[in-house]
Amino acid sequence: MRNIWIIARREYLERVRSRSFVIMTFLIPALMFGVSVVPTMLANRGENGVKRMVVVAADRDTAEMIRSRIEQEQDQEKSPLSNTRQSRRKSSELPIHFTVEVSTNTAEAERTALTEKVRLKELDGFLWATPDAIAAKKLVFVTRDVSSFIENGVLAQTISDALRRHALKSKGLTDDDIESALQAVEVDAQSPLGKNAPNPQIMFLATLGMVMVMYMTVLLYGINVMRSILEEKTSRIMEVMLSTASARDMMAGKILGVGAVGLTQVGIWALAAGIFSAGTLAATAGMIKGVLSVKLLVFFSIYFLLGYVLYSTLCAAVGSMVNSEQEAQQMQFLVMMPMILSIVFIVNIFQHPSSPIALFGSMFPFTAPLVMFSRIAMQTPPWWEIAISIGIMVATIYGMVLLCGRIYRVGILMYGKKPNLPEIMKWIKYA
Amino acid sequence: MPTIELNKVRKSYDHFVAVNDLTFSIEQGQVFGLLGPNGAGKTSTIRMMIGITAPDSGSINLLGQPFARKSLQKVGYLPEERGLYKKMKISDQLVFLGELHGMSAAHARQQALAWCQRLEIDAWLEKKVEELSKGMQQKIQFIAALLHDPEFIIMDEPFFGLDPVNATLLKDVMLDLKKKGKTILFSTHRMDQVEKLCDAICLINQGTAVLQGDLKTIKSGYGKRNVQIEYEGNGDFLEKNPLVSAYNNYGNYVEVRLAPGADAQELLHMVAGNSRVNKFELMEPSLEEIFINTVGKTNA
Repeated sequence: MRNIWIIARREYLERVRSRSFVIMTFLIPALMFGVSVVPTMLANRGENGVKRMVVVAADRDTAEMIRSRIEQEQDQEKSPLSNTRQSRRKSSELPIHFTVEVSTNTAEAERTALTEKVRLKELDGFLWATPDAIAAKKLVFVTRDVSSFIENGVLAQTISDALRRHALKSKGLTDDDIESALQAVEVDAQSPLGKNAPNPQIMFLATLGMVMVMYMTVLLYGINVMRSILEEKTSRIMEVMLSTASARDMMAGKILGVGAVGLTQVGIWALAAGIFSAGTLAATAGMIKGVLSVKLLVFFSIYFLLGYVLYSTLCAAVGSMVNSEQEAQQMQFLVMMPMILSIVFIVNIFQHPSSPIALFGSMFPFTAPLVMFSRIAMQTPPWWEIAISIGIMVATIYGMVLLCGRIYRVGILMYGKKPNLPEIMKWIKYA
Repeated sequence: MPTIELNKVRKSYDHFVAVNDLTFSIEQGQVFGLLGPNGAGKTSTIRMMIGITAPDSGSINLLGQPFARKSLQKVGYLPEERGLYKKMKISDQLVFLGELHGMSAAHARQQALAWCQRLEIDAWLEKKVEELSKGMQQKIQFIAALLHDPEFIIMDEPFFGLDPVNATLLKDVMLDLKKKGKTILFSTHRMDQVEKLCDAICLINQGTAVLQGDLKTIKSGYGKRNVQIEYEGNGDFLEKNPLVSAYNNYGNYVEVRLAPGADAQELLHMVAGNSRVNKFELMEPSLEEIFINTVGKTNA
């Protein structure tokens, strides 16, 4: 026990102090931030945010209606009162501010002149809304930014809305009637468990997030165990340590030490995420409540630990077998295959948590961590299924520790070529 | 009380017998040479002594008791394959290995400093292993094996890859340890390096002991059949001489093995008649010669 502790502590301290740990700890959240936030920020950043456009229609009424809708849409963005779901969605998608001018000159010559202005960047775009085009429900918006689909798509919606209002108004409806007729309907999905049940959409995302964290950490730290053993093997320190610690102590110490590093890293991320999003959390506390239940967190911990121990034991055996980084990479893909398969099927399992695939996946020990956890989150299976799944995993881990311990013990002293299967079988049989 | 006793120890891998019914014991305070050519089974034997592998049959007593892992804290081992954590600081590394041998962190740190001062590398204590030269790494490796003041020290090919300065340094450390009553086992195929240090040897070949016992007894058993001659002049007397069974000529210095029944005096007269003799000495055979002789015989 003392040796396991000493070895685990060395592994932990050396890793946590290493430059790569610090870099990883900061880089991964930075990368996630970069992937999710930066593109939105870039998309939001227009050319000073203001664009000039001209609306050309045969009658001033139509043109004014379109102009007022576009400007209203933009004003809502700034207005704190715009809290209906529809307007919030739209305003967030119309980031560029337009100043709209109106023209009733629908002559071909005007069109050519405007086109030339757009080309020369004197104007950012013009909408050609002649009566023919409106009747055909097909308007032309001339702009240099034809690929800016967000802008154009939202614009199309706004213009459709304007034309619809104009048509209704010409039929004699009042503004209030039009407003209430065009008011979008909200549809709220609700669980049969009642009002306090978590929002299924948030549930889905939260579970997916937890599954991904489990997947990445088990993968990352399993491979870390493998590489760390390979490093000890190639640096040939193994034999010095073996003269006092048993191979089993060494393997256990390594798995515990690296696992503790993994927990530390996830802990730092969770803490940082908690602090940074404290404001958001408070706002959505109602939604999060019920999703991140104590039950789910407990099962997350159980399956994360079981999964990590199972995979890192396998990785320890592989790390002891191979002699180089290249060999390790080929093997690690094979070892991690069930994990990768679980991820491939995970959305299917989210949608059908009681399907035969989900049932099998939650019992098969190498896929159980991700699959059973997903099932518990989505639609908790009967307690005995969970008990059987955990039982199978614990039994498999026990068997794997014995088996991999034997491979490890021989493997760490073997140099030269990668062993084939019959050779590994022989190692297992050695006293 | 013998420090270690091997009794009919056997180890085989598949159909290859690495160690075949090996029996020997090392008394406390002895310097013992486990000798043999490459692949004779030396490392396999050592690995069983320290529990890295278990014998298929036979028994091992360590420090007066049947082998137990706990006794390993009193054993220091320098493996043939040297290795340290490359990115770890020397001091941390030594403390770690010391702790694995049952020392407290503080005691290990203090001993590490003392040893590094003695071997004149204390300036490097806070450096990483990868920043050290090969020779310095070797020194660290020795310290790692000796830090916990072991009763029994096992050194597998200790002089391998050492420059003469470090080899002398190591030899002095070993002699010092011997004075303190420690038991030392050398395993090597370089006989000349351990000959002057060993009290007893076991010579193994193909997993079997072919010669063992007290070194002086073994040597005297071979008799003084070797002659060292320093001469000036013609070395022709060596050719087709019925008195000489083999020789090794270095120009004006030659080592001669006498033919069976030959008289050394007769040879002296013959050489003196031919050239000027500066030195003529009857000698015991070197361990290397005994080794080549014995192993050659068993292999034939």
